[in-house]
Amino acid sequence: MEKEAILELRNIRKVFDKTVALDSVSFSLYPGEIHGLLGGNGAGKTTLMNILYGLYRKDDGEIDFHGKKLNIQGPRDAINHGIGMVHQHFLQIGNYTVLENIVLGTNVAHPGTMKLDAEANKIIELGNRFRLPVDPNAVVDTLPVGTRQKVEILKALYRGVEVLILDEPTTNLTPQEVDDLFESLRVIVNEGLSIVFITHKLREVLHVCDRITVLREGRNITSLTRAEASEEIFVRAMVGDQMNIEDSVYFSHGSMANTAVDESSNPALEMQNVSWKTKEGISRLSGLNFQIKRGELFGVAGVAGNGQRELAECVTGVIIPTDGRILMDGRDVTALPVCELLKGRISYIPEDRLHDGFLPKANVAQNLILGYHRQKPYCEGVFIKWNTVYDKVRDAIGEYKIKTNGPEDPGGNLSGGNIQRVMIARAFSMDSQVLVAHNPTRGLDIPSMDFVYNKMLERKKTGAATLLISEDLDELLLICDRVAVLYRGQIVGILDRKDFDKYAIGRLMSGIQAEETADLRAAS
Amino acid sequence: MTIVRKIAPYVIAIIASFAAAGIFIALTGANIFQAYETILFTSFRTPNGFVQTLLKFIPLTLQALAFTIPLTAGKFNMGGEGQMIVGAIAASAVGIVGADLPAFILLPLVILAGVAAGALWGLIPAYLLYKFNINEILTSMLLNFVSFQIIDLVATGPWRDPVAGHPTTVQIGQGGFLPMLIKNPPLNAGLILALLVAAAVYLYTSRTTGGYELVATGANPRAAAVFGINVKRMFVFSIVLAGGIAGLSGVIEVAGVQHRLIVGLQHNFLVLGVIIALIARGNNLAVPFVAFFIAILEIGASAMQRTMNVPIEMVFIVEALVLLFVLLSDVVRRR
Repeated sequence: MEKEAILELRNIRKVFDKTVALDSVSFSLYPGEIHGLLGGNGAGKTTLMNILYGLYRKDDGEIDFHGKKLNIQGPRDAINHGIGMVHQHFLQIGNYTVLENIVLGTNVAHPGTMKLDAEANKIIELGNRFRLPVDPNAVVDTLPVGTRQKVEILKALYRGVEVLILDEPTTNLTPQEVDDLFESLRVIVNEGLSIVFITHKLREVLHVCDRITVLREGRNITSLTRAEASEEIFVRAMVGDQMNIEDSVYFSHGSMANTAVDESSNPALEMQNVSWKTKEGISRLSGLNFQIKRGELFGVAGVAGNGQRELAECVTGVIIPTDGRILMDGRDVTALPVCELLKGRISYIPEDRLHDGFLPKANVAQNLILGYHRQKPYCEGVFIKWNTVYDKVRDAIGEYKIKTNGPEDPGGNLSGGNIQRVMIARAFSMDSQVLVAHNPTRGLDIPSMDFVYNKMLERKKTGAATLLISEDLDELLLICDRVAVLYRGQIVGILDRKDFDKYAIGRLMSGIQAEETADLRAAS
Repeated sequence: MTIVRKIAPYVIAIIASFAAAGIFIALTGANIFQAYETILFTSFRTPNGFVQTLLKFIPLTLQALAFTIPLTAGKFNMGGEGQMIVGAIAASAVGIVGADLPAFILLPLVILAGVAAGALWGLIPAYLLYKFNINEILTSMLLNFVSFQIIDLVATGPWRDPVAGHPTTVQIGQGGFLPMLIKNPPLNAGLILALLVAAAVYLYTSRTTGGYELVATGANPRAAAVFGINVKRMFVFSIVLAGGIAGLSGVIEVAGVQHRLIVGLQHNFLVLGVIIALIARGNNLAVPFVAFFIAILEIGASAMQRTMNVPIEMVFIVEALVLLFVLLSDVVRRR
């Protein structure tokens, strides 16, 4: 490309405490391009862009914008210079309208009367121009995630940004919404703007980006145009040399053998008409019916907040269904307390690791035995055998590559990814009939994700079942035998592996087919 | 290395607080070094001073444990005084009513009654917390005031000792006295009880499954509950156990030291217990050591008041400053 770069980051360095998050990273952006910033978790993608957006201060390095040196003091400063960012978690006020959210913090034409007609028209005009149709008067809380994201992008465009940074924008979108998003991004760059697209998903980058920069462990690995490079080059750049890609589950193309499901015996887990209502009587799960066979990896897809958490907690006994029965191996376990279920029946990787799974004030060993502390070999009578525990914990630290100073290291010292490794190590430390894993790979780098997939696939050999609830549809399609789709607390469809189709599941996730099937059922 | 690093902030905090308190002592016009010497060495100069220190050490240790045990589970027991008073009342009541019983029956009954009464007094805030989610800090603290009225009532009631100038009951039966370890100066077997309790609490919290559940509950109650620990029951248990231990401190005051119920036996033990627990950072193993140090200061301070006319309140300043500096050292280390 002979065009002049509009933005240049040179030798950016950032150190948190003692960890080097970015080690002299350079990055350049040309006008009118979608630039993919690719890397596993902890690679430093978001840190780099947070520095550009003014959320973090860089420790060293330079930023040139339009050929001039730029010293950004904060997000407001970045926006004034024409740099906008859409975060993974939207910063919106739920009970405000789209219009109010977008104009918030800007100067409006009539501050006295708050007549916002001009602003509303501008938003509609922007929406039409960039194919981001949104009703300015809709209340944000009532909108689906895909639309809320459009609002967030419009917010940046409304402020007249030249450079738009999107942090993992496809999380929680259905495949259809992802396609729409990509189309809008293309329109936006055709108008001369530039986009930085942060993601860990290789396929998306290859699909939509013009140029791609790969980061790994805080370093630049490579920067290539889409045309220059093949998928293999990026894979190698993302994971480095330690990982064997040929045997990897993560990079395989969906050829996992669908075997070892034991059809003959009682199902490992059976949900019979399970419903759950909150204390206020709001229904969160209604009439769930499904079976998980022994040796089966059963996936649950759905946009976050459609009852996934309640489903996980019903199965693990944390909450008791208000209606229906849960059977394991033919036995009714509906009202069994958690401590009983943890004895060989259930193991659990909770979604919200910080609140639901982790003891920050306790040490690594105490964390790893949580829930199993009354089971052999960890205890003898009323005493905990700490020597045995410490031995086991040292093994786990090695096997699961937990970065820590040892079993007595306080939990608060661990990083997010390492906390997740503790959750996983704990769930796999004891045999269980059913593993309930809720977003188990969130926050892990690619080799660790692969490790988790292999661990889950290994369970099939022993006839152990897995309930994998995930917001990453690719992950579900990669390893599951069957996938159920949860929409507003109901299962709106269960697909066999041979019928897997991203778009069909996407339609179910957004509830499109729910009404149709309901009609069909009523008709028959 | 690690042990030095752990103790270093304490040593610095103690030196710094003495230096700061020195300013106040100097302002009263007294000789600073003589004051320091009195505070630190009175306990070790005479056998009597040492025994007095141990007698202070007993209730301080128990009161501090009555605070650290619920703290381990993330709850705050501010009712140590009330539980102590109620324990003392129950012990005296049994001791007076059963005055004629032989020691091998009466003494266990006296101890049991006091511990049970303290535990019951702890059960009230614990139950309110369990059932209605009422903040235990408030309820346990308010129950102290209830206990002040009850002890007044009992000490001025039918058991009142008419010859005493202060509201006091008659003596409990001889069979209810705790045995003496040393006759003169008098040191009772409460010391052994307190040390046993401290050792048992440490063993329980660090080595047993129940203690692990207590620690897990305090570390993150939500996660503990998700992984099968009945956290509400742990809250109740921890506060009731604390009440029982505070009740035992009341028993020892009655059966070991005074042999009767005296209004005001609780001194400042609640506040001092909380200070000790916080200086020890809730660590049950450290509690007895910190309690011993505070006992030295307390005994030294009364001597200072007697011999040098420096008000005893001065030692509160030292104690408060030690706590402040220890807490400050945490902040400094994090930087």
